[in-house]
Amino acid sequence: MLFPTVDFAVFFLVVFTGSWLLRPHKIAWRWFILASSFVFYGWWDWNYLVLLSLSIGINWFLGLAVFRSLTPEGERTNISRWLVRIAVVVNLGILGYFKYFDFFISTITDKMRSIGISVDAPILNIILPIGISFFIFQAISYVIDIGRGQWRKPLTILDFAVYLSFFAHLVAGPIVRASEFAPQLDALPDPRYVRSAEAFMLIFRGMFKKVVISSFLAIQIVDPVFANPNAYGPLAVLLAIYAYAIQIYADFSGYTDIAIGVALLLGIRFPQNFDSPYKALSLQDFWSRWHMTLSRWLRDYLYIPLGGNRGSKAMTYRNLFLVMIIGGLWHGANWTFVVWGAIHGSYLVAERIVKEKWKGHELGLPPLLVKAMQWFLVFNVVCLAWVFFRATSVDEAFALLGRLFASSGSSAGVSLLLILVIVGSVASQFVPQRFPQKAEVWFATWAPALQIAALAGGLVLVDALGPEGIAPFIYFQF
Amino acid sequence: MPAGLIIVVIVAALCVAGLVDADSTLRKSNAKGDGWRNEIAKTVASVTDTLHINFFRSSIDSALGKNQGTKIDVEELLRQQAEAEIAASAEAAKKVPELPAPTPATPMKIWVGGDSITQTFGISFQRITQSTGIFTPTLDYHISTGLSRPDYYNWPEHLVKDVLPTNPSILVIMFGANDGQNMIGANGKVLERTSEPWMTEYRRRVAATMDLLKSPDNQRITIWCGPPPMGPGTKTRGMDQMSYIYWSEAQSRPWIQYFDTWPFFSDANFVFAASLPNADGVVRGMRQKDNIHFSTVGGDRLSWAVIDRIGKLVDLSAGKVTPPAGQAPPASLVERSEIPPSMPGAE
Repeated sequence: MLFPTVDFAVFFLVVFTGSWLLRPHKIAWRWFILASSFVFYGWWDWNYLVLLSLSIGINWFLGLAVFRSLTPEGERTNISRWLVRIAVVVNLGILGYFKYFDFFISTITDKMRSIGISVDAPILNIILPIGISFFIFQAISYVIDIGRGQWRKPLTILDFAVYLSFFAHLVAGPIVRASEFAPQLDALPDPRYVRSAEAFMLIFRGMFKKVVISSFLAIQIVDPVFANPNAYGPLAVLLAIYAYAIQIYADFSGYTDIAIGVALLLGIRFPQNFDSPYKALSLQDFWSRWHMTLSRWLRDYLYIPLGGNRGSKAMTYRNLFLVMIIGGLWHGANWTFVVWGAIHGSYLVAERIVKEKWKGHELGLPPLLVKAMQWFLVFNVVCLAWVFFRATSVDEAFALLGRLFASSGSSAGVSLLLILVIVGSVASQFVPQRFPQKAEVWFATWAPALQIAALAGGLVLVDALGPEGIAPFIYFQF
Repeated sequence: MPAGLIIVVIVAALCVAGLVDADSTLRKSNAKGDGWRNEIAKTVASVTDTLHINFFRSSIDSALGKNQGTKIDVEELLRQQAEAEIAASAEAAKKVPELPAPTPATPMKIWVGGDSITQTFGISFQRITQSTGIFTPTLDYHISTGLSRPDYYNWPEHLVKDVLPTNPSILVIMFGANDGQNMIGANGKVLERTSEPWMTEYRRRVAATMDLLKSPDNQRITIWCGPPPMGPGTKTRGMDQMSYIYWSEAQSRPWIQYFDTWPFFSDANFVFAASLPNADGVVRGMRQKDNIHFSTVGGDRLSWAVIDRIGKLVDLSAGKVTPPAGQAPPASLVERSEIPPSMPGAE
């Protein structure tokens, strides 16, 4: 079920009403939310529910087993360590089967063909269940947190099932931790004070970003240029690259805004997932603003276990690079994602080296100019990496980049409106947070009738400005 | 705000938006074929029509230039065509048109168009035909279009009003990927996709569109490309059945040459294949990640296959029409002589 649809609106009305009516009855409320989440996920394909149920059962059991194998003081034991490893292997095995099996087989068979050995490869054309990467990562974090003694109270299977399957974050995040979610299951939010103004603003902003901005950029320039870069000239290609950077941000952060707003209406607060990433002055800063819940997952469950920055500089650089490569592969089984991760990893390493070398040195330039140059560099490196993220193959990505230096080619799709949308979207990143917050406070003071009119007008406007259908969110495929 | 009041605000806002947007919702519902939901959408739309509430939305649409046409008046278009054809020789129309051989000095006008699948293919086709030196290509694709939704994009009208007056000698056309959706029949009823009544209406539209493409002097060939097989997870439907309709309707129209794309994008069992070897034996990705649209490589492959087919109808010897082995399909691949009414397991 997609968020900006009539189906979801009807579904949510039922869930909202049921949730607040049942909230005082803790067990009934949990069953109701669980059933709602299963309906939401099963709407795509009821077969997915088997996998989700299995994931819930296996990880809950492993979490309990890990907890019981800790010392009474919560210290790790050999058995707990092994159980955590088993949990990680099982989860990554599931993810690997659905996500990487065909990629692995086709890579091997291509290599064998290239040396003259013909193999009848068993490509299974496995369909990737929507959101699998998100709930698998949440499950891993749950078991590891218990194994580390950080999360001292294993959840009941009902609580764990609600945590893992909660519909608002199930298919595209944010990646919420049990320690953030579970306490909210026991809390009893006051139904007289729901943060509706903040939620409505988030939902409207998310829908506008997804349905209007993202769809417009995709149709206007991104899809045509990436589909056949050889037909386009440098201006169209450059704008398509910038447009894709905005498109993926609008698409993904739009979904997250809706998810956070929807959860907020039910009295659940999710962690922030985006914080104006395109105003970052360094790539490290970018990663503290882009898909923040994935960044901290990679930091806590990959970077730190690899040694983090506790070893030599060389080891720190290796760890950074490896984390970005694995982060790239998390997005999908394609060499394009590996290159995307490698660009980020290399630049993060280079950034650290340069910072250390230039520590204490002054460039002698006005600070504002230095900041502008830093921003320009980081933004363009991020956009360069997005080319590989979006392209079907590494060859196609290079073909597109090569067109930046072409002497001819079409400028179809380039328009003043397109440029305004790109520039306006980038500029919006620099709007101070206090402005939308003030708007929320102001909106909250409106009479209900005015709020109704504003919400209805917003919905009509989004529908009118958007395309005829709603394309799935880009991050569903991950 | 209290939860009780929030539910009132949400319900009221949705109701107001639903009423104002009723026409848009009905259009989408008609396309998807929502059963009982479609009935509700119709009822709401009729209420808003009576009360003129849809005025707000239609004003916005009008300002944006969206969703203006609602009907496909094929009969009227056919009548106009028929007038132009009076001078045409009935006998000539029974033969495959014989077109003069193009040369660099007298290049042939070739038009390629269709839905979003034609985007990648068409861009490749435009580039490759241009490189032969004997064609003057025009690309004309429109995303999310087909023959099912003339309210969204009226192809027959566009062909007659905008394309045929430019007098192309060859048209290469491809539809189907967006057509596996419900249609409004001639009597205003919603026809459920791929049902018998749907097939009848779709066949009628295909036949009418093909008839529109006949030139009065029998000097135009249309290469009607069937849709390729779609990959898993695409949720498209009826590609095989639509292919059958195109092929069978083309049989009685010599000016329409059906081109069977299916074997060029499937394995030996005619099952979708994302990666396939070209004539040089190297396996390459033929489709984009969505398993629907062609990759550039796939677009090139289809382009050379279509040019090869054109070469069987028109003398292309004056042009550079020998494809690089890395772009063309293996020579062993051929079109099917007969298209089956359906393909088991096809998306």
